[in-house]
Amino acid sequence: MPRQGPLLERLTHRLAETPPDFLDEPAIGGQGAAVVAAVVHDLLRLHGHAASREALKRFEARDATTDRNRLALALIACWLLADDWFVSASIDGGALLQFLGEESAILAAMTPAPRFVHDPDRREELARTCLARLDFVPEGETGAQANDRLSSISGAERQRLLAASREMEARAHAVREALVKKAAEESADKWSRE
Amino acid sequence: MTEPTDEDRYPTLSEGGRRMLDWLREHPSAPVFRNRSGNRLRGTDIAALMLFDDEVTHAKPHRHDELEPAWCSDFVAEVFDHVPYYRAMGLPPRRFTDLPVVSRADLSADIARFVPDNIPLERLINFRTTGTTGHPLLIPSHPQVAGRYLSFHKRALSRHGIVPTHGSGQVGVVLLGHQRRCFTYVSVTPTMGESGLVKLNLHPVDWRDPVDRSLYLEALDAEFIAGDPISFAELLRLPARLRPRALMSVSMALSTGLRKALEERYGCPVLDLYSMNEVGPVAVYDAKLGGHVLLQHRLFVEVLDDAGHRVADGTRGEIAVTGGFNFCLPLLRYRTGDFAALERREGEVVLRGLAGRAPVRFRTAPGAWVNNIDVTHAVDHLPLSHYALNQRADGSLHFLLSRRDASHAEPIRSALASLMGELALTIELVDGDDKTVQYRSDVDEAHA
Repeated sequence: MPRQGPLLERLTHRLAETPPDFLDEPAIGGQGAAVVAAVVHDLLRLHGHAASREALKRFEARDATTDRNRLALALIACWLLADDWFVSASIDGGALLQFLGEESAILAAMTPAPRFVHDPDRREELARTCLARLDFVPEGETGAQANDRLSSISGAERQRLLAASREMEARAHAVREALVKKAAEESADKWSRE
Repeated sequence: MTEPTDEDRYPTLSEGGRRMLDWLREHPSAPVFRNRSGNRLRGTDIAALMLFDDEVTHAKPHRHDELEPAWCSDFVAEVFDHVPYYRAMGLPPRRFTDLPVVSRADLSADIARFVPDNIPLERLINFRTTGTTGHPLLIPSHPQVAGRYLSFHKRALSRHGIVPTHGSGQVGVVLLGHQRRCFTYVSVTPTMGESGLVKLNLHPVDWRDPVDRSLYLEALDAEFIAGDPISFAELLRLPARLRPRALMSVSMALSTGLRKALEERYGCPVLDLYSMNEVGPVAVYDAKLGGHVLLQHRLFVEVLDDAGHRVADGTRGEIAVTGGFNFCLPLLRYRTGDFAALERREGEVVLRGLAGRAPVRFRTAPGAWVNNIDVTHAVDHLPLSHYALNQRADGSLHFLLSRRDASHAEPIRSALASLMGELALTIELVDGDDKTVQYRSDVDEAHA
């Protein structure tokens, strides 16, 4: 049975007011200032837990292509989970790490992290996903209502993203084909050849 | 797979242009042209190129003060919108310096992800590049992009007060190669009155009679000759009496010795262009300023340390570029694999000590260190086409020298001895035409 959570608006409002530090660039390979693993460590301490070095490894990264957006979202999620309501809710440390690590990566796979702050639908999606994965329902909603609303808001987004992803793959395939065509190989005149 | 036709290759070809192509191909001394290619420019492309040329003529390269140029933020936003590789990262960072750097290995992994999704694919062309870093690449491009090179060559030429004048019935440029296998063809340049363009191979394998090389080059009487140090070294060996207005050297470092030999022989300036398939001509060497002067007004050049941080002016590091004129491959902080220091000299921005690949140190006989630039300087007075120096783990030196440059073996010995002391040195003569990696060391700490 999911437990009663806070009012959804409390969380979406908190997301809308995410401070600039939590929107900072994750530190990856020399660029960016936000050390996400350290922020996760501090969050866990705030909740009365200690995160092992091993557990924090997933919040360190070197490859911007695969890690930048998911770490940016993990940072925003840290801000959300630092809300007093969550801190006083005795949440399991493993559940917190799982949400920050795995769920952030799923949500960030196609959606730029700052949209979970600036877009009302994405704020609601992040707040509802967070409550659902930690086994809470928003105050004033039943479990079924909360599930329906989350499916509806994230389902529509997933459909859109799936279509965009298919389109992107088709385009990449077309580019590869166009590049190796005989016509492309013949090239065109340059006044010098490197 | 459809074979392109001449209509595809020369969409606007006039009767005069056709005559030029026929003459180039059918000249009694002409080589075997192994391939076919063309300008592929349509009427609208030519009009666009004229406008671009005008823009380049009047633009000034970015001053490279501390901040990025004004166009950068819009450019970055557009790249994050349209280029799949960047879109997957989310939104652009607020600070330019937080942009991740990319390397040739990233492009090589899947170049398709770097092509903007608003670029039509019907007219995509490619330039194949093997590089020296083991990452072969097909660079996506477009006929207009290829045509834009000329604007930057003109800009480089204008530093010597040269304005190209050749037009109909004349040959504008000859591009020289000297390889066993070389992509060769004839074409015309529509923005220069359909003047002729010839890409030919000086290697005897492409000629009915090696004597024809000089006869054909003399008959072409080209206004400009483009090539690399290897093909220019071969050109010097031919008895051809040529009077180009300038030579343009690309691809490899051009030694002062070879540049002077070419200048003396042909009585014209020799432009040493720093150019790469990824972004075209970046800079041209200016002896007075002692470095390569930047040419492109929409290319932001940075010099970075190993960690990807921008270094101070005058500090050596890896050259990274943002922007460029190839709209099929917009680049953000692309690490070129080339090294230099950015400096301001007499109101211009120059790349000092430009050299490909990471710096290498060599241990001298007394145990001190000199770097590869010192070695370049030590042999710079010799007209070597290309060479390679390797220091073995025991400190001994192995110098690879083109067989054609064998007569310079002794001056090389004494130059290295005065730089590095009495180390064991073997000089091996090689026949290959590869653009050899110049410097290597197996000594511990050589790459520190």
